[in-house]
Amino acid sequence: MAAKLYMFLPETAYLLMGLVLFLLSLPKEQPGGRVYVWALCLSLLGVAAAVAGLPQKGLIFFQAYRVDLYSQLFKLILSVAMFLVVSICWPLTGVERRYKPEFFLFLTTCTLGMMLMVSAVELMTLYLALELSSFSLYILVPLRSGDNIDIEAGVKYLFIGITASCVMLFGISYLYGAAHSTYLADILEKLPLWIHQPAAAIGLLLTLSGFFFKLAVFPFHFWAPDVYQGAANQVTTYIATVSKAAAVALLVRLTSLTGGTSLYLSYILIVLCVVSMGLGNLVAIVQKDLKRMLAYSTIAHAGYILMGILTMNELGYSAAVFYTVAYMIMNFAAFMVVVKLASQGQDLKISDLAGLHRRSPLLALTLMMALFSLAGIPPTVGFTGKFLVFAAAMQQGHFWLVLVGMINATISLYYYLMVIKAAYLAEPETEAPPLVIGMPTRLLNYLLIVVMAYLGIFPQQVMTLAENAVKQLIWGS
Amino acid sequence: MNSLTVYLFVALLLFCIGMFGLLQRRSLIGMIISIELMLNAAGINFMAFNRFLGPDPAVGQIMVLFIMGIAAAEAAIALSLTLALFRKLRSINIEHARDLRG
Repeated sequence: MAAKLYMFLPETAYLLMGLVLFLLSLPKEQPGGRVYVWALCLSLLGVAAAVAGLPQKGLIFFQAYRVDLYSQLFKLILSVAMFLVVSICWPLTGVERRYKPEFFLFLTTCTLGMMLMVSAVELMTLYLALELSSFSLYILVPLRSGDNIDIEAGVKYLFIGITASCVMLFGISYLYGAAHSTYLADILEKLPLWIHQPAAAIGLLLTLSGFFFKLAVFPFHFWAPDVYQGAANQVTTYIATVSKAAAVALLVRLTSLTGGTSLYLSYILIVLCVVSMGLGNLVAIVQKDLKRMLAYSTIAHAGYILMGILTMNELGYSAAVFYTVAYMIMNFAAFMVVVKLASQGQDLKISDLAGLHRRSPLLALTLMMALFSLAGIPPTVGFTGKFLVFAAAMQQGHFWLVLVGMINATISLYYYLMVIKAAYLAEPETEAPPLVIGMPTRLLNYLLIVVMAYLGIFPQQVMTLAENAVKQLIWGS
Repeated sequence: MNSLTVYLFVALLLFCIGMFGLLQRRSLIGMIISIELMLNAAGINFMAFNRFLGPDPAVGQIMVLFIMGIAAAEAAIALSLTLALFRKLRSINIEHARDLRG
């Protein structure tokens, strides 16, 4: 019993964290900085629990919950990303003062939902965990202080999210009908026999749509620009980094159920991949708002990640996992600059970046590194990620798909360079005072720059870890 | 046409009606009702598969109970957001919320 509880350690840590934050949210008089310190310490504890849980292995809760290297690796990624997001949440200017404890509480429950999600191997557990994380985000988006746009963004996010989850539930019901069981282990045995029939492929595809929504893949991408712009900068950072990891983890896990042979599914995924890349990159070019532009770039990057997943072999899956880690690092770096620059929690136009290299050379350098990485310029981590994904697709003979991906990467270079041009070359109309950034932020900047360069040149360790994790996906009952 | 097919057909019809309503309706309350239809379509599917194919008679019923719980939670969040939007815009027509463009 004790050993089984130990397997549940990271989730227990986050449950306790949620409880503490809930108690802190009860008093009428809200203490300002104390909640932040609590949240920061507890999320650091969460990282420690995830590290301690890394070597665990086994099945708990009536075989509905599988703990293995794959799930534990994603829990570690989630908890580290959560810690980093919490670390830039002070001063929390974008959120109304009385909602600050709730803000941290819902971040915690959302991360907890995603941790449950990456371990769930039973369809109802999976669906409930997904809804726990989605519901927390539905409440986080409209918490922004100020004008009306947060409520509008929240309503759009909610309705597109619920639609995606209804479609997913309908797909789950077909999977249940095809396999007569809700356990992924049983489905894994039966689905490879059924998958060549359109009905089973459609069931699986509909089930995947819940995660397409989280990853902002076409046709569930409509929310991304509005929510990125309408939500508080810190919430946008969270949505753009943490929630992507869980979505990729589940897309890979569910796609691996086919046993690697499904023509229907792979054709449909190719179409989604191409449309996402093209649409995201082309619409991003005309954007004036920085967060909106990053939202369209997210849609494009979801396409690159899908390219790794649709190869349906271990190489492609581990490339997709690596790309997700790379994407989280570079996107976090870009959004951290946004959060630090928008000191009043306002939205940033790209033209607001003018003169950034004088106001804060370090932030400008981080932004440049992050955008070069997003565009895929060597020797950054973004280049290595794209290379691995393209190589995996090439190996499966998807030559045209890789060509389209390359063309898209070139298009994306244009709008990333426009931002860098605004930060380094454009002269501001009125000279703004230099930005003062504290020591912790400086250290975080140096760390992100070094990690982006290091992983770009030496990706082997992370890649080996990803390959070992992906090997755990196929298991017998 | 055997009885399982009839149930699946009814569920599919209900799902399509819900999807059509969601795309067609401009009032948030109408959209919430459409979403309930889609959730219940999935519920009918679970019960039908459970009754005609499932080896364990309890699984589908438990699924449907969970779906009902989730539907209630979803309606609570959706209605509270509808109320928040009404307080700011004095309207629950989604067409009136169009500040986010670009």
